[in-house]
Amino acid sequence: MSLQRDAEYNERKFLHKFVDLKDKRVLEVGCGEGRLTWQYANITRWTVGVDLDRDSLRVARVDCPSDVKDIVHLAHADSTHLPFAKEKFDIAILAWSL
Amino acid sequence: MVHALTEIRRVLVSDGILIDLRPLADHWPVEVVSLREVKRTGRVQDLPEQTNGDAASNESIQEAERRGLFKREQEELFSFTYSWDTPSEMEEFVKEEWQDFFDLDDETRRATRAAWAVADADSRVRVRMSMWIARCRKQASTTENET
Repeated sequence: MSLQRDAEYNERKFLHKFVDLKDKRVLEVGCGEGRLTWQYANITRWTVGVDLDRDSLRVARVDCPSDVKDIVHLAHADSTHLPFAKEKFDIAILAWSL
Repeated sequence: MVHALTEIRRVLVSDGILIDLRPLADHWPVEVVSLREVKRTGRVQDLPEQTNGDAASNESIQEAERRGLFKREQEELFSFTYSWDTPSEMEEFVKEEWQDFFDLDDETRRATRAAWAVADADSRVRVRMSMWIARCRKQASTTENET
């Protein structure tokens, strides 16, 4: 299929317009296959992506670009029970998931 | 969904930021586009599953604000496009991926196929979604007990 998503990169532009991600500790809730994650993670201190869909996380692990492999961590988790200590993140992104 | 916002608030630092990013159903336009022109051929039909979901999400954010969990600082709508080489690829995608949330009526299907058939060779079929983004800041005190 010839599907193209967000050819104008508006999602990335607006994300950066709304928040400074540079050197921040970021949690992305609903990271799915990492489509959005790969677009910003390289400037963060580190990024944790969580999702309930194990198949999507499997794809994300395979597709993870080499330049962010050391700073992106993926986990299977429910947004109502996040397996993290309190005050661990500077920024949380609810990506298509509220 | 307020439970999720409460949990996200817990793992955010003091003054931390929550970005809420999601599509909002709004009878998104369907277009046939080429370098030379954009022709609107109809609109996506919003199904109750999507509109009810949007309403519930909006209510969750408002409830989180009422409880003093977060304060909304900035919000905006922007376009997020899906495009395909042909109308049939669009129809297949809508049927497989959006079936519970959106639909295409017969008139939009017909008009899109007709416009694409006579359009320039570089033409694609596009749905222009409305995307919502909001920045919310973690608030120090809440009306609930801290967890």
